[in-house]
Formats: sequence, C-alpha cells, structure tokens
Amino acid sequence: MRIETTKTADETIITVEGDIDLYSSPELRTSVLKAVPKAKTGVGIHLGGVTYMDSSGVATLVEGLRSAKENGKNFALVAPSTSVMKVLELARLDSIFEVRPA
Amino acid sequence: MRTDDIQLQVSSDPRLLGVVRGVIQVWLEVCGLVPDRRHEVVLAVDEACSNAIRHAYEGRTDESVELVLSASEEWIEITVSDQGTPCPSECSEYRPMVKPDERELVPGGLGVKLIHEVFDEVRFCPGTTDGNCVTMRLHRTAKHEVGSED
Repeated sequence: MRIETTKTADETIITVEGDIDLYSSPELRTSVLKAVPKAKTGVGIHLGGVTYMDSSGVATLVEGLRSAKENGKNFALVAPSTSVMKVLELARLDSIFEVRPA
Repeated sequence: MRTDDIQLQVSSDPRLLGVVRGVIQVWLEVCGLVPDRRHEVVLAVDEACSNAIRHAYEGRTDESVELVLSASEEWIEITVSDQGTPCPSECSEYRPMVKPDERELVPGGLGVKLIHEVFDEVRFCPGTTDGNCVTMRLHRTAKHEVGSED
C-alpha cells in the first residue's frame, strides 16, 4: 500500500494505492486521523488505485468519518475502485459515505 | 482430507495475508468461480485469517494459521483454524448485516458479519483449549460459475 497526502486550497487529499488489509490499515488510520483535525474544510480519501480492502480498511474509513463529524469537517471518498465499493456494499455502508468522482 | 484438497500452513504474520489471498484467488479461478464471487470469498477467508491473528493470537506473528481448501461439484469449502486463545461464542454468532444508524457507527466487528454474508453455511467449532476453527461453505449454483451464461 502507498499513501500520499496533498493539500489543495481548502481540502486535504489522501491518495491510497494497493491493498488495504490488517497489515497496512494501521498506517492509513494514522494518516487519516492526523489529517482530519488539521484540514481546512475537510478530507478526501482517493481510493481509485485500491486493489483490495478488508474490514479493517472499512473500520478506518468509519473512524475517519466519525472524527470528521466531531471536528466539523467534510469527509468524502473520491473515485473508489469497484473493489472498495463492493466491500462497502456488502457491509451496507456504501450510503453512509459521501462518494464523488475524481 | 479429500485427495484433491489443499492444505496451507502460514505464520500468523499480517504481511503474509496478501500471499494467502493470492493462493485462494488462483484456487477459486481453477474451481471456475466467477470473478465477483472470487472477490467475496477471498475477502471472507482473509477476514477469518485476520481474526485468528488479531484475536486468537493477539497480534503474535510467530504462531500458525492453517487453511484447508476443498471443492466438490456441489460446494466449495474452506476451513481456517488456529491454536490460539478460544474466542467467546458471542464473537461468532450470526448477526444480520443491517445499515447502521449513523449515531451507532462504530469501527470493528465487521469481519464475522462479512463471513456470514458471503458464505451459505458457516460453522464455528466450539472454543476449546485447542484454539478455534471456522468452516465456510459456498453452495455452487450456475450463477457462480464461469461460462454459466453460455
């Protein structure tokens, strides 16, 4: 898994590529929970290059969303891959997140 | 074990989960499952292995997780077992997947739900001093098979 954090005028974008699983999700969790409170208006998690995501990845996204709500920030999933959407649909969590194209 | 079963033994190291997923993926391809179902089965088996590492072995990476892959014309069956701390029975209980209320959103606890969601039959061995095991069976129907649309 590779993570890159970039900032636009008002949003922080975290771009994730590769597999998000029990091994890699702690690193993503750290990046997300660090970025959310510091973001100007919110955080977008770009998941277009994610080849696999398990429930620990889903849990990380849920934690990010909760943290964003607590901090009064936006939280969106950007261009999630079919692999990501499939897991969110199985978990009935696809409609909880704001999803937008790249 | 049946003669064409596959037995895998892997260290309880999360870095190796990708290897396990790769093996299961190729095996399901050989079995003739359609890509969508392959992805779901790989996910559910990965969750079972992750649970063994996280809960039974409490993150220890030098223990052992064992998988048995078995297929017949009627079903595909995968058993995941460990020799770790027996998990409480309520951890393996079937709870239907429902869309949570946003106020109740809590991370975690999804793995077992996903296993039940993907497989037709899920049997957890009763927790004993000898560890845990879960046997997951998928009934083969035409819609799961490659070439069934012909």
